[in-house]
Amino acid sequence: MVKINVIEGIIAEHAAKDFVKVGDELSVDVDLAIAHDVTGPLAIEQFKKIGVKKVYDGDKVVFVSDHNIPCSSVNSRVQHKTLENFSDDYNVKYFGRSEGVIHQLIMEENLYKKRDIIVGADSHTCTAGAFGAVAIGVGSTEMAAVMALGKIDIEVPPVKVINIEGKLNDNVYGKDIILHIIGKFGTNGFTDTGVIITGESIFNLSQDDKMTISNMMIEMGAMIGYIDQGDEIGEVLETVNIKAQDIFPCVACPPSPGNVKPVSEVEGTVINQAVLGSCTNGRYSDMLEAAQVIKGKKVAKGVNFIVVPSSKRVAQKMDESGITKIFRDAGAIVTNPGCGPCFGAHQGLLNKDDVAVSSTNRNFPGRMGHKEAKIYLASPRIVAESAVLGKLSSPGKVK
Amino acid sequence: MEKIIGKGFFLGDDIDTDQILPGYAMSYPPEDLRKVALKGSKISDFPDKVEDGDIIFAQDNFGCGSSREQAPLALKSTGLGAIVAKSFARIFRKNAVNIGLPVIISKDVDVILKESREGDNFRIDINEGSVKNLRTEKIYQAEKLSDTTYETLKAGGLINKVRKILINRGEINE
Repeated sequence: MVKINVIEGIIAEHAAKDFVKVGDELSVDVDLAIAHDVTGPLAIEQFKKIGVKKVYDGDKVVFVSDHNIPCSSVNSRVQHKTLENFSDDYNVKYFGRSEGVIHQLIMEENLYKKRDIIVGADSHTCTAGAFGAVAIGVGSTEMAAVMALGKIDIEVPPVKVINIEGKLNDNVYGKDIILHIIGKFGTNGFTDTGVIITGESIFNLSQDDKMTISNMMIEMGAMIGYIDQGDEIGEVLETVNIKAQDIFPCVACPPSPGNVKPVSEVEGTVINQAVLGSCTNGRYSDMLEAAQVIKGKKVAKGVNFIVVPSSKRVAQKMDESGITKIFRDAGAIVTNPGCGPCFGAHQGLLNKDDVAVSSTNRNFPGRMGHKEAKIYLASPRIVAESAVLGKLSSPGKVK
Repeated sequence: MEKIIGKGFFLGDDIDTDQILPGYAMSYPPEDLRKVALKGSKISDFPDKVEDGDIIFAQDNFGCGSSREQAPLALKSTGLGAIVAKSFARIFRKNAVNIGLPVIISKDVDVILKESREGDNFRIDINEGSVKNLRTEKIYQAEKLSDTTYETLKAGGLINKVRKILINRGEINE
């Protein structure tokens, strides 16, 4: 008898079945459905076309304004009002006061639960995989369907395991691990697949680092990104082993998160923007890491260093511990919590000859402004050291 | 929907959603989306060139990146008839189908691009799973759509399908 794996087990539970197999098309119960200010309004428009009077469960639908907060245009103001009015009329939760990036905030609200099925109208919904949830990123229309039915139709995906063996090198963070994996398998290496990341070094990581890893599993096309919770994984289609000692501090070079090189190979590339923040790396531990680098130093001349806390709680902790002051004294711009410039609408867009190093998750052409601007994705440590030196730098170069 | 006829536009690998629809345009009202379709790609003047029924041919991983449904919506609102690619990113593929824009997988894209000129007219037969270059009269293979995808497209998108479910349950009126 084939034993179903942990992802199949969670799917089976939500379809009221004992056994499922790859390719089964199932309608599964959704424990939480989330959207933000640029996907939520379109979901609401579609939901209203369905014609139901209420959402399936007001406690299980959450909207967060995080992309354009405060509003970056008149149009974005309309989007915020749409969410606000809908939450009043339909009794769903709405966070519209810069409480944080959706995935960070939902985590802080303790809504990412182990063995839940979570649907999010945001591709980085896979962040919830760090908590043992099966989290599926969708578009606005699918979100609308879930809001009405409380279910989503999915196929049971093939599941593959990535096992990181052995001890990590110094100065290797969660970001380096996931960039290494994306670089190795490519941006469509796991399309339509459920991916479980495991290994001794993964178990030893902080929850923040685990979130960074699960957050970027969409960048290799995964349908579901899941971090091993220590339970039995069960039978999977394939297990790939990666030696931890092969992972070095690295960057994803433009124009793709899959274009990964050890930072040592591109060291010295002159930058004029550094961005620290996002659902990938905007947590307190990321801020602390960067602050330790920059304390008592200055941001290099000609560099904009933009620091975006991923939530209000993170920002408050930074204020209390003095980190905000360290950044500001160094010449960084500390913004309100939110997505910041990550997706190219506001708070630090690049012109065509600009080069940025960023702790965010995507560096496609035009992601952060002009389509010829270059973006290098890196860990907060590399971002902070590069901001001080004005060029891409390996960890440890700032003394 | 079964037959789509139009001229071809050619694109490469990894046409991500930022190239299809820039991030700032996610706040645009739906009627303004067509103006910025493919603005970040090498065909940045796509909205001026495209006509009803036209077809995009692309290589692997079309639509990778963000979940923004404004990306397929922008393409659809230009009148685009279909996208044929070697492979699609999952969320984009689902979004396109959910709003009624056919996305067709063909492993023959390399050959199609090699044997065709940009601007050639093509005919896609969804039931047959074929793509024909109307100039050269060559016929290429495409994958047939799954039953679920076909049903959703035929219903005109997911919303109509959900409505049918709820009408059958007696929860909403026709």
